[in-house]
Amino acid sequence: MQRAIAKRKILALLAFTILLDTFPYYALSTATNGTGLIPLAAYPYIWVAGVFGLQPLFLNFTAILIAAGAMSEEYEQGTAELLLSKPVRRNDYFAGKFLGGFILFLIILAFNILLSVGSALAFFGPQASLEILPGLFIVQAFSSLIFYSLAFMLGELVRRSSLAYIFSSAIFFASFIISGYLGFIYTLTGKEFYRTVQIYLPTSPANSLPVQYASPLLPQTVGIVLRFVGEDNTIVPTIALSVAILLAYTLVAIGVAAGYFWYADISRRMG
Amino acid sequence: MSNAGPHGPPVLQFQNTVKDYGSKRIGPVDLSIGKGEIMGFLGPNGSGKTTCIRLMLGLVRPSSGNVRVNGYDPISKHVEALDHVAYSPELPNIQTFLTPTELLSLVLHELGFQADKDAEIKRVLELVGLIEYRDTKVGKLSKGMVQRLSVAQALIGDPELLILDEPMLGLDPAGSAHFREVFREFAVGGKGTVFMSSHMMNEVESLCTSVSIIHSGRILFRGSSSEVVRKVLDYSVVTVEAQGLQQETLNSIKEISNVSEVRINNQIVEIIVRGHDDIRPAVSDLIVKSGAKLYTIKTADNMLERAYIEALKKNGVDR
Repeated sequence: MQRAIAKRKILALLAFTILLDTFPYYALSTATNGTGLIPLAAYPYIWVAGVFGLQPLFLNFTAILIAAGAMSEEYEQGTAELLLSKPVRRNDYFAGKFLGGFILFLIILAFNILLSVGSALAFFGPQASLEILPGLFIVQAFSSLIFYSLAFMLGELVRRSSLAYIFSSAIFFASFIISGYLGFIYTLTGKEFYRTVQIYLPTSPANSLPVQYASPLLPQTVGIVLRFVGEDNTIVPTIALSVAILLAYTLVAIGVAAGYFWYADISRRMG
Repeated sequence: MSNAGPHGPPVLQFQNTVKDYGSKRIGPVDLSIGKGEIMGFLGPNGSGKTTCIRLMLGLVRPSSGNVRVNGYDPISKHVEALDHVAYSPELPNIQTFLTPTELLSLVLHELGFQADKDAEIKRVLELVGLIEYRDTKVGKLSKGMVQRLSVAQALIGDPELLILDEPMLGLDPAGSAHFREVFREFAVGGKGTVFMSSHMMNEVESLCTSVSIIHSGRILFRGSSSEVVRKVLDYSVVTVEAQGLQQETLNSIKEISNVSEVRINNQIVEIIVRGHDDIRPAVSDLIVKSGAKLYTIKTADNMLERAYIEALKKNGVDR
């Protein structure tokens, strides 16, 4: 943890979070003054924009950035070799790397939520329905597990952080783009096949679940804010299916990573 | 070649161990190291030294055969096998933003060390000569100091087996001499065992109680330094330092049985002997009787190096 926090990329992520969770609120507050872009009734729920708006890109990508290097950087720096030459169980090491990185991600996620709410408070006055935040935090964390696990698995398989970042990002952006493309084709053709493929892409449950969880707990006014940040449409039809797809991807990725870590030789320090 | 460790039950054991990388095959290796032994593991680059060390540490799986550390398989019984085993790698991978104190504290935490941690850290830092740099970031330490720290993280806690990959690399002569004493002290009375890979023949010869030479993944020779020298070389070298030696005396030395050559190199007389008969009494007798002043007479210091080079030559390595 100490090492991870020391890394400049984590500091950069935190700085980026601050920027993303403050400046848009300021810009929105100046733009909405008297313009009617967001009705006054939606002001108490404007925190939703920051909390949900960052999930599709920033949070999933943050999960990738942290997880892709969790194992691979240890091989590159040779610390995996040094640590595993001690009487440390491989299972403990594996779990430590997975959980250590994920805890770091949770800190950034919590920071993101708190900053969004704080900015909303500062620029738009008192905020409502904040009691759903703890549950939403857990749901967002769970939703982010899919890309966290995929990136973690790729980091273990390729054992090169640069390759792991590239492959994980490629999967993420490909899923993101293909999902939009399939959704467009489905809208045009109405053919269920395109919709089904879209549902099972990893970005779909990751982005759908937080909205599926929060929508019934928030008033309809929030829909305006969600539409504003492009998060009003859930691709996966049910919460249960979202959870199932997320679990399937996550467990398979963790299983593959654990199996490979257990059976493969520990790489020597590289480059 | 004997595989039995001379100091009781084996602490480290390779039994017909093979590691096949596809493009390269190491083994079959048969080797055992007994408690209290200080073994020097010699071999050219790429001969399999590091693979053997990584097999011992459970970092790589053998393709066939097995490895036992303290009687346990280091893969399936990693914790049991490596309990009280410490490793110092050739190129220490130490995070540069840590200080020696922080690093050693982390190592003690990993080892589950229960006693006074501060006292243990102080003891080890004093032992390796880094106490003054205890709070200096690793990134600011010299290469030799990082090497000392690598050895410190191996010595900390209560290790019984030290696995050292080129431990003297980057050390100045005083540092090397100090570490020799540290390792000797560690193994004194059969309490600790040291397995040391090195290219520094003089270090190995002066420190190790046994030597193994590995080449192309196979152990060529194993035994004490003198045993390996006897097995490999069909000659021995005696060096003499004396004042007032006359040509007549040198001619008389040449007449001693099995002496094949006598040559003078930088005022040191080198006597080449066929076989390994000890001719020192006869030589010293001649010199003293000639009236010359005899300062030293001994077997040449670099016999292990000669044996090592010869062993590799015999196996097709021309260095």
